[in-house]
Amino acid sequence: MEMFRFIVRKLVEDRVALLGVILIMALIIAAIAAPVFSTFPEDVADFHPKNRLLEPDSMFWFGTDRMGSDIYSRILFGARITITIAVVAIGASVLIGVPIGLVAGYYHGWFSEMLMRVSDIFLAVPQIVLAIAIAQTLGPSIENVILALSATYWPFWARLVYAETRSIQNEVFVEASIALGASPFRVMVMHVLPNISSSIIVRTTIGMGGTILTAATLGFLGLGAPAPSPEWGRMISESREFLPEAWWYATAPGIAIFLVVMGFNLLGDGLRDILDPRIRRSVHRDK
Amino acid sequence: MKLLVLVLNRFFWFFPTVVGLMVITFTISHIIPADPVAFLAGDNASNEQIEALRRQLGLDQPMHIQLWRYLIDLTQGNFGNSLYTLRPISDDLSSRLPATLELTFMSVLVSAALGIPLGVISAVRRNSPLDHFLRIFTVSGLAIASFWFAILLQLLFAMDLGWTPLQGRSSGWGPEHITGFFVIDSLLTWNMEELRLSLSHMILPVMTLAYPAMATIVRFTRAGVLNAMNSNYVLYEEAMGFPRRVIIWKYVLRNALIGTVTQIGLIFGILIANAVVVEAVFDWPGLGYYAVQSILMSDYNAIMGFTFVAGVIFIIVNLIVDISHGFIDPRESR
Repeated sequence: MEMFRFIVRKLVEDRVALLGVILIMALIIAAIAAPVFSTFPEDVADFHPKNRLLEPDSMFWFGTDRMGSDIYSRILFGARITITIAVVAIGASVLIGVPIGLVAGYYHGWFSEMLMRVSDIFLAVPQIVLAIAIAQTLGPSIENVILALSATYWPFWARLVYAETRSIQNEVFVEASIALGASPFRVMVMHVLPNISSSIIVRTTIGMGGTILTAATLGFLGLGAPAPSPEWGRMISESREFLPEAWWYATAPGIAIFLVVMGFNLLGDGLRDILDPRIRRSVHRDK
Repeated sequence: MKLLVLVLNRFFWFFPTVVGLMVITFTISHIIPADPVAFLAGDNASNEQIEALRRQLGLDQPMHIQLWRYLIDLTQGNFGNSLYTLRPISDDLSSRLPATLELTFMSVLVSAALGIPLGVISAVRRNSPLDHFLRIFTVSGLAIASFWFAILLQLLFAMDLGWTPLQGRSSGWGPEHITGFFVIDSLLTWNMEELRLSLSHMILPVMTLAYPAMATIVRFTRAGVLNAMNSNYVLYEEAMGFPRRVIIWKYVLRNALIGTVTQIGLIFGILIANAVVVEAVFDWPGLGYYAVQSILMSDYNAIMGFTFVAGVIFIIVNLIVDISHGFIDPRESR
């Protein structure tokens, strides 16, 4: 709790990281209160041919799309998809990667070696390429995007936790708890994990931004949620045949993706400065 | 001597990693789909056709035999035939590889040529307005979706201002085929018109790919330079009255670049991956464009072929990065 208060106090001091928090809060509020804030909540699925491709005005704030639906309302509902994909996919990656990294880091032997080699092989393929291959095989849906992303992102956490576990396992407090007869499980969960949690938090925050970008890319390629889902990447891909006349069509979803990814990156950078003094964004040791 | 061990060790791990990659694509293509044959045959195939295809492809064999045959096939460069071009996938991929490599090499070149000096300047003038501007610029570069950025550039420079071509690799026939790299080929045949065309077609895709790459390079170079500037040898050199210019661009940069080189290697792999969407937006006839066409056709053998080739390129790049580390940083090989 004290740690939490410390982080909050530091974050408030760091204006840039605070901006990140505000952007993420905006995403969460947009996702939860989408029906409240949207001007045409029924526009996610309905279409109104006579309102097709209207420029932004006082009625349709961000213009309308090819179906005549209000883009502003669709963006708000799209926030739900973005946040679901990011939270579930990253959550699954953490749940897979962290235990693997802990076990491989704690024990020494062929099994640890094998676990790390497997995650190295996954890291040897560009994430977006592997995600495309998996999502294509499974078929386009939100669930499959989540599956594809979790299957490709877990090795980042396995690698990180492995390295961190190896680096602290000879610390006195770890050796002491082993000497006191603590079981390996207890040592890993009660003593190792809390001490490496800050790197996990930083990696997870930055990972959210990257995952949202990859998910949007899958949507853009037609591998995400099927139409008429208001997925932001899909909206941008739909807009392409109406350019350059309908310039507003791609603008709003693109800015939405940009702001959300920016939010997570800024918060991640800020948290790293606070939690991990070894790798500061800027070195302050002036001569 | 240590350097030799390092190089051999990296080479030793190359083959198991590639085999591991094959096992991943095998798992995706043979185990994840409920019935891979029905998947391959398409929606309109009858049951007899599916059974015939299953025997023909050897998918009625036990799993370990299938895996073995798959590994042998891939090692010989046999990925099957494409549903989109009806040609062997390996031919399709190798004829498109130069276009993608040309784009990625150019983007790496541009991003490093701009990113390293900007990173150094940003570090040297820390907290100046320029540094703050570069920070906003780089943070934005890492948050922007490249497919969206590509569309914005098209809207502005190609459709609105008409300064650059909208898409494609050349509006002519392309230079005489020698290497498949249009810039090199037009230089070899001294075809200036084609050189101008291929360079102008490259501007927007390279801008799209190079922006996030450059952002990463600026950040890493800045951090590396700041770190190196705090070392004792810099203090010593300052005390000895070395010109600041020499200290920074000769001694500090060499140390700072170690991290940057790793990043450039990783960036190269990421660029090949990002080329998928960028090539799709600019109709650039490379591997990525082929992959997107294959997605549209549900041609999953071709997608696996692309995944495998992209993975192998990525592994080779990382191998080169690891080895060049040993040469740049003598500590690594001691």
